[in-house]
Amino acid sequence: MVNTNKQLHVIYGDGGIGVGGEDFHYIFNYTRGGMESMVINGREWMYREPKPTFWRATTDNDHGNGFSKQAVQWYGADMFSGADKVDIKINDQLIEFPSAPGNNKYSNHEFADKVEVVYHYRTQTIPRTDVNVSYTVTPDGVIKVHTHYTGNDQLPDLPVFGMRFILPTAATGFEYAGLSGETYPDRMAGGIPGEYKVDGLPVTNYMVPQDCGVHMKTDWVTVTRNTTKDSSDHSDTPFSIKFEKDGAPFAFSCLPYTAEELENATHQEELPLPRRTVVSILGAVRGVGGIDSWGRDVEEQYHIPAGKDIDFGFKITKA
Amino acid sequence: MEPDIKWLDDPETFRVGMIPAHSDHQFYQSNDEIRNGQSSYVQSLNGQWQFAYAKDPMHRIKNFYAADFDSSDFDHIKVPQHIEFAGYDKFHYINTMYPWEGKIYRRPAYALDQNDKAEGQFSEATDNPVGQYIKKFTLNSEFKDKKVRVRFDGVEKAMYVWLNGHFLGYAEDSFTPSEFDLTPYLQEGKNTLAVEAFKLSTAAWLEDQDMFRFFGIFRDVSLIAQPEIHIEDLTIKPTLSDDLKDGTLNVDTKMTVNKSGATAKVQVTDADGKQLYDETQPVTDSISLKDIEFKNVHLYDNHDPYLYQLTIEIDDKDGHVLEIVPYKFGFRKIEINSDKVITLNGKRLIINGVNRHEWDCHSGRVVSVDDMKADIRTFKKNNINAVRTCHYPDHTLWYHLCDINGIYVMAENNLESHGTWQKLGAVEPSYNVPGSVPQWKAAVIDRARNNYEMLKNHASILFWSLGNESYAGDDIQAMEEFYKSVDPTRLVHYEGVVQNRKYEDVISDVESRMYASPDEIKDYLDHDPKKPFMLCEYMHDMGNSLGGMKSYIDLIDKYPMYAGGFIWDFIDQAIEVNDEVTGKKVLRYGGDFDDRMSDYEFSGDGLMFADRTEKPAMQEVKYYYGQHK
Repeated sequence: MVNTNKQLHVIYGDGGIGVGGEDFHYIFNYTRGGMESMVINGREWMYREPKPTFWRATTDNDHGNGFSKQAVQWYGADMFSGADKVDIKINDQLIEFPSAPGNNKYSNHEFADKVEVVYHYRTQTIPRTDVNVSYTVTPDGVIKVHTHYTGNDQLPDLPVFGMRFILPTAATGFEYAGLSGETYPDRMAGGIPGEYKVDGLPVTNYMVPQDCGVHMKTDWVTVTRNTTKDSSDHSDTPFSIKFEKDGAPFAFSCLPYTAEELENATHQEELPLPRRTVVSILGAVRGVGGIDSWGRDVEEQYHIPAGKDIDFGFKITKA
Repeated sequence: MEPDIKWLDDPETFRVGMIPAHSDHQFYQSNDEIRNGQSSYVQSLNGQWQFAYAKDPMHRIKNFYAADFDSSDFDHIKVPQHIEFAGYDKFHYINTMYPWEGKIYRRPAYALDQNDKAEGQFSEATDNPVGQYIKKFTLNSEFKDKKVRVRFDGVEKAMYVWLNGHFLGYAEDSFTPSEFDLTPYLQEGKNTLAVEAFKLSTAAWLEDQDMFRFFGIFRDVSLIAQPEIHIEDLTIKPTLSDDLKDGTLNVDTKMTVNKSGATAKVQVTDADGKQLYDETQPVTDSISLKDIEFKNVHLYDNHDPYLYQLTIEIDDKDGHVLEIVPYKFGFRKIEINSDKVITLNGKRLIINGVNRHEWDCHSGRVVSVDDMKADIRTFKKNNINAVRTCHYPDHTLWYHLCDINGIYVMAENNLESHGTWQKLGAVEPSYNVPGSVPQWKAAVIDRARNNYEMLKNHASILFWSLGNESYAGDDIQAMEEFYKSVDPTRLVHYEGVVQNRKYEDVISDVESRMYASPDEIKDYLDHDPKKPFMLCEYMHDMGNSLGGMKSYIDLIDKYPMYAGGFIWDFIDQAIEVNDEVTGKKVLRYGGDFDDRMSDYEFSGDGLMFADRTEKPAMQEVKYYYGQHK
């Protein structure tokens, strides 16, 4: 299929919607709750669908002050929340959901200037609350992601809020524009703004593995891999994608593990062999605290109150 | 005198046959030796020793120290080394509770009942392993006909010592030197030194520090020969005029003099080697300098750790050098001014400090010169200007490095007894020691004296600290009185004022707390505060922590009486081992060695990981400690 008019090629499938361009192709799954495939220059970037993330691996201070117990609902939400509704907008117009057989009216020659897929999640909390994530694709291949958390003051403070991407293989490293070192909202005054390159996927060597590697106030982060899971791909040439701010800077971590994997280990050596890359793009991060490790709360201004809406967005582009 | 195993049970027996504590000055035979840092009067006994381990006192070899004892089937052990690192007793980490918690019921002698001597509590205990050491040595030829002593820089927790079958003495206070005179029992050729170290004694009640619990000879052992005329103890007292411009130097010595006609050449030079004072005096009983004045002295502080050099050379009547004692000293003045602000040289003192345990993940509290130098570099790089030696005196080199680098020191005694009064997080001092129990008083004053006598000449030491988390009572008050009687030039610190206000006026010059929140500090300082405020521990850096430091740093600008504090703490305590599954080197902590009861990862509170790499939080420390350099 030759795309001569630089529009997006839209495939109204039965299980999902495909959106393609010159050097990219994305598939948004209808039942699995997110973007199942993000191919850029022939290489797959998704291991499993990105989901909203709510949990951070318990820090020693979270343990000491009981925060993890108070916030435990967010652990379940992080693990198990799913989207129960998907909306599709073509050129900013909401269309009738293109399920079969209604999608028999389409062809392999469907084009658009803009495709937006919106996933509606309901958190596994009591009470539940709504989280919407929309992906807007334009012919340049850029995906704008926007997330909206609907505040509910009956829920406990959040450990974190953002989007978690799991990439198929371990990255060789990442570069970012932001603050030096590992920073948190209540521990970033010493971070020096600049562009930094990190080799591999270091996990901070805390005696008990815990949340780590967060970088506040980031303008962009580029993640580089040189391996795929494609059995026909024998290349080891590095390739990258870039997460960029869309408005306000974001926070991120780039680790080989999910929060739940970190949560389970009592020593660094118990963590699994690094096989994948977990990129968390975060719109809200709770402070780590530091007065003591046996009860004192994180200072009030560094909490993430559950009752307040959170909106944040970012862009994914080829690098 | 005959040794008695029951000394282990008796809080009133803590030093037998020991040479009195004295200053940590070195003495040399020539200027070349000074330059090389190697005194021909010192013969190291570090290295391989013979060793036997017994699981308790009942199973120890009773006559292992005898001159005719056949030790050919002993094991070998490296000295210095914790016995646990040699693979005998297991590693055990526990915080406030005593290591016998849940295993043996104990109460300190006399604490609940003045008639309860607790006899056999340690001498007949099944949880009290014993290390028996034998070292055969031949004296260096230059030591012939000289008085010779043996010096142990650190042995946990109670030790008996013999030479050639003769009993020399007994020592506790694990973190200060123990010296015994060998002279009467030395023989030609091979000599046999025997040391019996017990993991537990009444000292264990006083040494309940939040750390891995080790025992054995863990610091250097040396033979020290002394010339016929020898400075046994040196007290250097540099003071400043009220306008801080001129200095006055007083020097006192205690000497052994076994030769007449000798002279002492006393010199003072500045840091560039320019001679400021040069005088020769005859040596009769001792030598001293009285009120020697120095105009326009260069003051000592963190930014400019300017040190003067005192050198005392003792020559015999023929002009042969007997010994040369060099010591660096500084002119500085610490005080609390009329506004209740702590000042150094008239300027407000701001402590950007850390607590530092001695730690190396390969060897525990056996730290190397490289470890110490690396720590100083880390301090300098990250704007750390002060250290609290939690909760025991450190290797003496550390204090010299602090002198040279201008790191202010809170020199803490070897004392922590929180297991006797903190129960499940509450204050419950029913069997607290030392408390006001008379039989425990002499032991803690001895600890204060050991700390003072060894370290009194260090320019970097601004505070004496009575210990940590030991509650408060008459015995701790007596320690404070000791310091005040011998040293009016420094402040005395003790945090226990907070736990028992009855002693508020007699155990600490400062209001010291740990882990107070910024609001609690404001509350104290807003309500007619009695004393300047200091945090001897704050910003508990366990795991991923150190958030919210700004709120503490903001207090500095708001309250002149706020003196800053010491972050808890400098380095994680974890032990590097080979992972049994992968064979890779990994770091292990409390509970990883089948050690129970334990406090597990609670020892991982450092700004550094146990392998001496910096935690990410260090950049925050560097930033905030850089605000009020």
